[in-house]
Amino acid sequence: MLIHLPIAQIAVDPLIIIAIGMLVGFLSGLFGVGGGFLLTPMLIFYGVPAAVAVSTQANQVLATSIAGVTAHWQDRAVDVRLGTLMLMGGLAGSTVGVGVFSLLKYFGVVDTTISVLYIVFLGVIGGLMAWESVGALGQAGGDPGRRTRLRLWMRGLPIKRRFPRSGLYISIIPPLGVGFFVGLLAAVLGVGGGFILAPAMVYLLGVPTRVMVGTSLFQIIFLTAYVTFLQATFNGTVDLVLALVLMIGGVIGARLGAAAGRKLKAAQLRLLLALVVLAMAGRLVYELYVAPKPEYRLEGTR
Amino acid sequence: MKKLAILLLGLALAPAALAQQRGEGPEQQLLAAGLAEDTVEVKVNYAGARIVLFVSPLARENATSGLAVALIGPSTPQDVIRNTPAGRQRFEFVAAPTVFAIGTEPQVAETVKPDVMIEAGLNAATSAMPRSDKLMSPDLDAWRTAFVNLKMSQGLYSFDDTTIERLDGGLRRVRIPLPPNAPPGDYRIRAVAFRNGQSVGESEQVLTLVRGGMDATLFDLSRQHGFIYGFLAVLLGVLVGSVAAWVGRR
Repeated sequence: MLIHLPIAQIAVDPLIIIAIGMLVGFLSGLFGVGGGFLLTPMLIFYGVPAAVAVSTQANQVLATSIAGVTAHWQDRAVDVRLGTLMLMGGLAGSTVGVGVFSLLKYFGVVDTTISVLYIVFLGVIGGLMAWESVGALGQAGGDPGRRTRLRLWMRGLPIKRRFPRSGLYISIIPPLGVGFFVGLLAAVLGVGGGFILAPAMVYLLGVPTRVMVGTSLFQIIFLTAYVTFLQATFNGTVDLVLALVLMIGGVIGARLGAAAGRKLKAAQLRLLLALVVLAMAGRLVYELYVAPKPEYRLEGTR
Repeated sequence: MKKLAILLLGLALAPAALAQQRGEGPEQQLLAAGLAEDTVEVKVNYAGARIVLFVSPLARENATSGLAVALIGPSTPQDVIRNTPAGRQRFEFVAAPTVFAIGTEPQVAETVKPDVMIEAGLNAATSAMPRSDKLMSPDLDAWRTAFVNLKMSQGLYSFDDTTIERLDGGLRRVRIPLPPNAPPGDYRIRAVAFRNGQSVGESEQVLTLVRGGMDATLFDLSRQHGFIYGFLAVLLGVLVGSVAAWVGRR
């Protein structure tokens, strides 16, 4: 059975779309990342036009994040105060990021910049996480030490607030800064930024891994709702039929992912996330430098 | 079927008589043809369609007589990008069919030369019109070939899937596939009859692909009421996520 997508204007097999949604939802529930970095290329590979894939994945991530966050909410593993602060920074960062993107586009270096940024960030973050979590697995398998040199430096910053759910007493500047930086990157790279935010929360802010997952999802809910609204309203590229089918798979996957996450040690979770991030960096390197590129391509209807 | 054949044969006589009244030569006749349905509705369960066209035979047919039928449309501007070690090259087609499907009878493939097919408007590559300043470009053929190959890879151009079947009395039944990713709009169905390697008759029908049902509602909403559509998209995400969370809790 096939269904026709009104905005994408193609017919798709709903079972394949549900399976894609389920896989991405599982990762979302497990790691607290949106999964857009995985969902968008999968949809494009299946034949969905890129503009529709990019916009619709945000709508699907919104639903899976809501489904995933409730499981963490029940476990009292969502730091709303910290999440709200980072969200504020994120919205400001993404607004600046849109301007930076236009500037890069103006100078004609947007493609190169994005590719290099992606590989550098994913490689560095994934590598460091894998290194740290492998070391942690050999010990108790818990969260990384709280007295790192970077965090000691941050302790000197003003405007300190208490974040009881995360067990932190830190300045509001680092969470705002992390949110801003992630929002900026998200706008330039065109992704939700969860895969950058999640490790930043653990290593820079010292948020416990279990609280990180729920808090990251909490923030993603608002960011994806904002993106979905803008894309649907101004570009008309959100395909509601595709989104609905993806959501069905996504929410099931998110619940399963959250349940699987409870059975893993914090270091195991971080190692798995590191492997996903490194795999994505590897895929990008392959696509950029190894995979044969088609000589010709169509650039749609002008 | 016989009644339809008689009806179409009757239709065939009328244009032939008209053509003679207009003083056209006997070698160029209007073919009588009729679509089984001239409107196709795209709904949520639309997975492509098969267009059926009936074409009446010409009065004087011989061993070389045959028919070629093409589904062409809608024409839009399209660009082809070429990646070279020196950088990107762009070639603009100001008008090129989004969909092109053609079928020919064996006699046509054997006796009709490519330039005759081009003159008859049945060549996919030459249907792609470049900008006027690129008409004499030495690379035009290469760009057109690349364009056709890319369209074939998208499933929008096909050269083997259209079937032409001869029925009683020489009546032809043509089945043309309309791919699921064909955009809504007006399509031309062009039938050309050949004899001795030359075009001797033609006809053109218009097929309209329109959105219907929920497909049309959602598309129109997204284009005409973007704000409501955006609100609906967010609401859908929140609703599905909340229902899933509620089910998960239970």
